[in-house]
This record gives sequence, structure tokens and C-alpha cells, in this order.
Amino acid sequence: MTLDDTSVPPDPSGGRASRRGRGTGGGAEARRSARRGGALTQARHIVRTLRPVEILSEEGLALIEANADTVLEEIGLEFRDDAEALEILRANGADVDGTRVHFPRGLCRSLIQATAPATFTQYARNPERSVEIGGNATVFAPVYGPPFVRDLDHGRRYATIEDFRNFVKLAYSLPNLHHSGGTVCEPVDLPVNKRHLDMVASHILYSDKPFMGSVTAPERAADTVDMARIVFGTDFVDQNCVLISLINANSPMVWDGTMLGAMKVYARANQACIVTPFILAGAMAPVTAAGVLTQTLAESLAGMAFAQMVRPGAPVVFGSFASSMSMQSGAPTFGTPEPALVLYGAAQLARRLGVPFRSGGSLCGSKIPDAQAAYESLNTLMPTMMGGVNFVLHAAGWLEGGLVSSYEKLILDADQLGIQQAFAKGIDLSADGQAMSALREVGPGSHFLGCAHTQAHFQTAFYRSPVADNNSFEQWEAEGAKDAAERANAIWKRLLNDYQQPAIDPAIAEALDAFIQRKKAEVPDANY
Amino acid sequence: MADQDEELDLRTLSDEELTEQMWDDLYDGLADEIAEGTKILLERGWQPYEVLTKALVEGMRIVGNDFRDGILFVPEVLLAANAMKTGMTILRPLLAETGAPKMGKMVIGTVKGDIHDIGKNLVSMMMEGAGFEVIDLGINNPVEKYLAAIEEHQPDILGMSALLTTTMPYMKVVIDELKTRGMRDDYVVLVGGAPLNEEFAREVGADAYCRDAAVAVETAKSFMQRRHNQLRAAAG
Repeated sequence: MTLDDTSVPPDPSGGRASRRGRGTGGGAEARRSARRGGALTQARHIVRTLRPVEILSEEGLALIEANADTVLEEIGLEFRDDAEALEILRANGADVDGTRVHFPRGLCRSLIQATAPATFTQYARNPERSVEIGGNATVFAPVYGPPFVRDLDHGRRYATIEDFRNFVKLAYSLPNLHHSGGTVCEPVDLPVNKRHLDMVASHILYSDKPFMGSVTAPERAADTVDMARIVFGTDFVDQNCVLISLINANSPMVWDGTMLGAMKVYARANQACIVTPFILAGAMAPVTAAGVLTQTLAESLAGMAFAQMVRPGAPVVFGSFASSMSMQSGAPTFGTPEPALVLYGAAQLARRLGVPFRSGGSLCGSKIPDAQAAYESLNTLMPTMMGGVNFVLHAAGWLEGGLVSSYEKLILDADQLGIQQAFAKGIDLSADGQAMSALREVGPGSHFLGCAHTQAHFQTAFYRSPVADNNSFEQWEAEGAKDAAERANAIWKRLLNDYQQPAIDPAIAEALDAFIQRKKAEVPDANY
Repeated sequence: MADQDEELDLRTLSDEELTEQMWDDLYDGLADEIAEGTKILLERGWQPYEVLTKALVEGMRIVGNDFRDGILFVPEVLLAANAMKTGMTILRPLLAETGAPKMGKMVIGTVKGDIHDIGKNLVSMMMEGAGFEVIDLGINNPVEKYLAAIEEHQPDILGMSALLTTTMPYMKVVIDELKTRGMRDDYVVLVGGAPLNEEFAREVGADAYCRDAAVAVETAKSFMQRRHNQLRAAAG
């Protein structure tokens, strides 16, 4: 080939049509700063174009639903330490015997289908970051709950509020995390009865993405709602979802006072609850996928129906967290085939019920961001996407069975989320997507690198990983022979270094601060 | 921001400003603007060799660096090389007239049995972009074809590429033939291709292994510098 063969048309649509003077958008400096990630381009939540994978037949789904109704009717669920909840349940047609509650067949389903929204918007303080929850939408949120953090420089240690803020800032900076999440790590350096104030404030101040509320006590849930009212306005909060919070069943078949209390606060405030049986199969549910599905559906139906009893129309999400376990040690295991089967089945049950679905993530049991972590995480993330999950908690940063929030894995996982986001678009069949102009222009025996179609599309045609190294062996070696985790280490440090706090109305920030100071002064620090 | 889209009059720029504008125009792949800038510098009395080295080659060095660093994409480098070629078309006859020193000449081809040439094409393009004269023999070249091209064009550099482990040993066939004929030391031999490494290049008797197009240019430049120095030393 000589350059004659590679000559490009005089005015390729991808080329710049006219010159700009130095420093006004043309030349090397402009492109370098644009390509080095100076500008933050956030992705909206995913709108899936691909049909979800469905592994259960109509008969299979009907069987699981009938079995779940049998659990609700015959075995019943415990509703503990909440007399008011029992009253509400009795008033709405449940059969309450002490703390054991039996539900007539079909009661929970009919309550949910009558009033729970099939899809809803969770508003962010930046309207461009608001997300749709349900339908064809998929929302990625970071890891939730770990008491430890890990990074390559300092190893594994207890998380602090500084780590918490770092993870909020990083989730804000990562374009494929659509949500700020909730307990991105547990800041154990702060007193238990007050740390929620600083956690919620961090989400509000250091990010403008939607976030989750505190659930560790009803009064902490109430504080979260009050803070949301300061940010969004009382009337707006009453009519719109600005908080989504994680309400876990105490499997098997128990709803406890803490979770019921938090659920009542959020439902009454018209805020969303993700009603999730948290199941390590073999210990907290039967060992089979059908058994886990039955119990999950029964527990979640009861919880979501309870939310509708508290406030008809309060948004709820059918949650399923299912892991397998090592029967040798009792340790939970992730990325295994059985939980993937549960995920696919539960997603189908949620769609038939007509409510949004939460499950999956980038789950693994590995201690470090290594091959085990990568395989297990992707073995969870692929079913998450292909199953059609609407809200994906733990989408990035999860390590060691959820005990550790990892700085490096947050970056590695977020890269995979970008891949999933691109994949979910499906195949572009527009005239441009068909690329017939390129095929005609190039013809046999040449190459497509210079043709007009390629010139117009090369920047966005392929997902570009910020983590993967595809250079020659020699260049990789010259750049320090770094593995993926080491490269991720440099990326999160750069993101934190480049982080710029999103603007907030100073009056709101002041009012928030006054609220927090007042709450902190009201009671002494306590670690319970 | 209205001034952003205003057409820039190159003639109003000082020499230094114009040179820098041409670096950016090369970077942006603006062929017409490079032709215009080249003409203006010549009108101002610049020597063709000066225009080549200070405006064009330096501009392409910046392009090459950003290509190596993953900032520029292949199709953009194609545009830049195309713009460079427009300037070279104007300069080439003038360079010959003035007897200016040459950047260097390269004969390049994919070896016998191998038809994979996208990487080799990139090398050709980058070498031309750096001001080298490149004679590209295409694919599937037997030793006779290399010898004939060397005879005809008298290059400074012979480049060979291969993608297959089954064809890369043919590089040694060519180099051995050069040795047999006592011609090996008259040329710099550079080799490249995905399955090669530095050890292989040494074993077949090449001067260097070039892992990618940007490195090929850097390596070629440094060998040309060495040749110039040797010539100077011999002359002195």
C-alpha cells in the first residue's frame, strides 16, 4: 500500500471541515485534553433493547407461585417486634396468630398488583441523573454494606468516613454507575447512632446522582427522609420517589422490627423500598433453585404487600439476593451456576407480578481483585444483564463475599458495566449501522481504516476499556508490566485527584448542616 | 465563542506562529491548509529542507507520539499522513533541485507466503509521514523481488513484515542472501510483525525489531542519524 491507496475523500464526514486557530478547539492540545478524560460524560441508566433470557416455562412459573402461596397460607411468616405491623396486617385480611401471620392465597399478589407501580422514576438532585426503575431500564449502583475496605497501597482495613466519601466521589466520577448507592462501606469510625447523618450527607453533597436511605433503625430512616425534604422540598418528596432503600427479610420467613420499622417510615413517605430476601441457600433456604425461588417469592410478596397496606401506591422493588454456599465450610459462594438460575427465575416472577426487580451485581468470594474475582463477578453480571434486572446493587466494588469494598475492583467492575451498557444497545440496523457505503467504497482487497464511514464512526464504534492493556508486550513491559489491578490503582487515584464537587444551592447545604448539627447535639454518641 | 469559527488567515501569522499552526493542522489532518502553509513558507524564502523538517516532520513527530500514547486513533493518523503527503508533493521536486539531505529511503514488503499487510501498511504510512521515501512492495515477496527493488531504488533501509510463524523464518532467507552477495552491511534491516520479538530479530540477523509503527519510525530515524554521523566521520 502506498498513501495513494489510503487517501481519504476530500471532505470525510468525520474529519474537521475547517481550521481553528491554536487554542480554540483544534490541534494537539485540544484533543489531548478531551481524550485524557478532562470532561466527565455521564451515561444515563440503561434502556435494554434485548429480550431477557427466560428459563422457566409458564407451568414452572405457575408452580413456583402456587408453592409460594402455600408457604404464605399454610406455614405463614413471622412478623416480630412490631405490634403496629401486626394490626395493619390483620386489618388488611391476614390471619394473625401471635407473631405468626398467614396470608389467604392470592392476597399479597392482589394488594401489590392493585397499587404498586410497575415502574417509577427516582429523582436525583441533578435532573439529568434521575433514573427509571422498572420496565426495560437497568440501573447500576455501587457495592453496599462492607465494614472493610481494601486497596493495593494499604491492604485490608476497617472503613472510615473518609473511605465512604472516597467511594461516593468515585461512584460520582464513574460514568456507568448511574446511582450513588447507599452504604458504599460502613464508616466504623463514627458512632453507630449518628453515622447515618454523615453517610446520607455525603451522598447529597459529594454526588448529584440518586442515592439510598438508612435502614438500621426507624428513626434513622426518618432522619433520611427529613434530609431528603431539605434537598427536594416536602411536597415534592411526598409525591415523588427521591430515596430507594434496602429492606431485607430475615430469612427464613421472618420480618423483624428493625426492617419493618424502616419500611413503614419509607412507605409512609412514599419512598421506594427494595424488599429483598437475603438468602445463602442451604442455611437460610432449601438447597434447590426451586426451593429458593419459592421462599424468596413468599417473603418478598409479604413485604411488598405490607408496604402497600401502609401506603397504597408506595413504590416497591422485588429483591432477590441468592448465593450458594460451601457445604464444607459454610462460607457463601458466588459466581456459581445455581444462583444464576435463581436470578433468571426470580426476574421472570417479578415481571409476571408487575413490579421492578433487583438482584445480581458483580459478586465474588475472592479476597483480592484477581482471576477468581473477575470470573465470579462476570458470572453474576452476565445473568444480571441477560435476566433483565432493573436495579443492580453491588454492581461495582464488591470483594470477599461483601466484607470488603475494594478501590481497585470498583474501577475494574465499572469497566465491565461500560461493556454491558454498550452491549445492551443491541444491533444498530439504521442505514448508518448497515454500513453499505463503507462496503461499496472499499471493495475487495483493501482496508476500511481510511474510508469515510470509518472516519465518521471510529471514536465511538467500539467500547474502549480504560483498564485493559492491548499494547505490544514491549510497550506494556516498558510501562512497568502492570497487571489490571495495578492499572486500576492508578485510575482511582487519578479520579480522586481530578474530582470536582458538584455545585449545590448554598442555602440547602446550610440547612442540611444545621439539621445534622442539631441531630448530633440531641443525644450522646452511642454504639448501638 | 464566535471567533472560534472565523476563518484564520495564515498570511497574518509570523513564521513561528505559522509553523505551530501547521503542526496543529497536520494533527487535524487538514490537507489543503498544509499545502497553503507550505507555499507561504516557501514564498517567505524558507529553504525546502527547512519547511520539511521544521514544519512537517516536526508536526508528524507530535502525531507519532500521540499515536504511541494512545491519544490518536489510526484513522486520524491516516488523515494526518495524507495532509503531510500534500505538503511533500510540493516539496519533493524542490528538495531534489536544492540537493537537500534526505530523510531516508525505505523498501518495505511482507515476506513470501504471507498476505497480511495491515500492520505493514501502517508502518509505510507513518514512515512517509515522517518524511521518508517509501517503496512498498506489497505482500508475498520472494527474495528476488526484494533484491530487484534494492537494486532499482538504492534504499537506506529494508523493512520486512510477517504475521505468521510459518512465514517469519523467510526473513532469514532474505538476509542470508544479502550476506552471500556481500550487501548486508549496506542497508539497515528492520523487521516487524506480531509473532516476532527482539531475540528473533537478532537471530535472523536483522538490525532491529520494531514492535509497532511508531517505534519503526523512531528506530529508522535513529539508524539514519547514525549513518549520517558515520558518513560525516568518514568524510572528516
